[in-house]
Amino acid sequence: MTEDIRDVVIVGGSIAAVTAADALRQHGHEGSITIVSDEPYTPYVRPPLSKGMLKGTETEESVFMAPPRPDIDFRVKTRAVGLDLERRRVLLDGGEELPYDGLVVASGARARRLGPPEAGELVVRDLDDALRLRAAFAGAGSLVVVGGGFLGMEIASTARGLGLDVTVVDRDPPLVRQFGGFLAEHMTRAAVDEGVRLVRSPGAVELVGGNPVTAVRTADGLLLEADVVVSAVGDLPNVEWLAGSGLGGPEGLLVDDRCRVAPGVVAAGDVVTRVSERTGRPRRSPHWGSAIDQARAAAQALLKGDEAPVYRPAPYYWTEQWGLDIKICGRILPGAIPEVLSGSLDERTALVRWTHDGVPVAAATVNHRMPVVKLRRLATAS
Amino acid sequence: MRITVDETRCEGYGFCAEAAPHLLELDDEGELTVLSEEVLPDEAANAEAAVRVCPVAALRLQQ
Repeated sequence: MTEDIRDVVIVGGSIAAVTAADALRQHGHEGSITIVSDEPYTPYVRPPLSKGMLKGTETEESVFMAPPRPDIDFRVKTRAVGLDLERRRVLLDGGEELPYDGLVVASGARARRLGPPEAGELVVRDLDDALRLRAAFAGAGSLVVVGGGFLGMEIASTARGLGLDVTVVDRDPPLVRQFGGFLAEHMTRAAVDEGVRLVRSPGAVELVGGNPVTAVRTADGLLLEADVVVSAVGDLPNVEWLAGSGLGGPEGLLVDDRCRVAPGVVAAGDVVTRVSERTGRPRRSPHWGSAIDQARAAAQALLKGDEAPVYRPAPYYWTEQWGLDIKICGRILPGAIPEVLSGSLDERTALVRWTHDGVPVAAATVNHRMPVVKLRRLATAS
Repeated sequence: MRITVDETRCEGYGFCAEAAPHLLELDDEGELTVLSEEVLPDEAANAEAAVRVCPVAALRLQQ
């Protein structure tokens, strides 16, 4: 033990926060754990919010996790507004100060927006966002999605499945950044086959109207009108509440190789940024699996300091769209060469591996069940 | 308390095994094995943690 950690405060109420709490208990922490979440809900699962929950095949009740254990004080609708590192206190919006010996920052990220807050722009990040969008879909005939990334294409797929006319607008070809050109091309073709219209804007788009947004204007002046417009243009780490402490910045909250931030402070989840071993630059990895792995590493680092295991990122993420269930281990680096190991993408079931300079860097399954351990072996085996 | 896995839902993520290593284990093929369906009281909290980290709700706890 590096120091005596009795009272732990966790800021954030999603998977990283509850996993950190569970891991603290699992590794012997017997002191208090207080979780403060600014959401009105107990923890829920985010991945279905753009898929089954949005479509209506899963109820909103089904997204809630089993409630946190009774020896954890979980406070909803409680916003952390400041951090006093010196006195080890989290400042809450009602003026209360929560003293801590150990702090886990799991304040997550929020949807990036194109317009001002009062524009009533629809996004998908929280349960309330997804409920608003689901309500907007009812009776709507058309949708424009701004952003052809992961989330934007999942929303587009869900909406198309509900029978809406769907247009996706982006500056770049959809999905290439996350899935590489090879897989992105097949996914995009699947979208077009389903009747989705893809529009490229040579620059930033502009939202037209407000409350609700009624159209999108592309950089070359094309006006895309729709009953519903939704933005899926990335996320921003929630670091503003840390401003007075000198911690955090636009890139997120920088952690070391054990998810530590400062004495008595660790972090996990979408708020975290790490220096990439490959590029030497800070990088966030806002995925479910990263949140869990980081939360476990952070909890151990808080309790054991340098004795805690080093966190080794093992990227893993998935998507479901256009009837394609895709799971990926590793990073599809630009220039990586894909090889179909079995099946065929044209037949919509395949196992794909990417190599870079002759070394495997990533592997993916498409409508092909394979335990993650095996997929990871493929992604890293030499 | 009993813990069971719905094999039709389980996709082999493996997040659960680390939360409750006395109850759940991944075999060499990465498939989830339930070591003990019976959850003793001192393992209950870990079992609940295992259920929480499953993104596809494949684990069930029954009293």
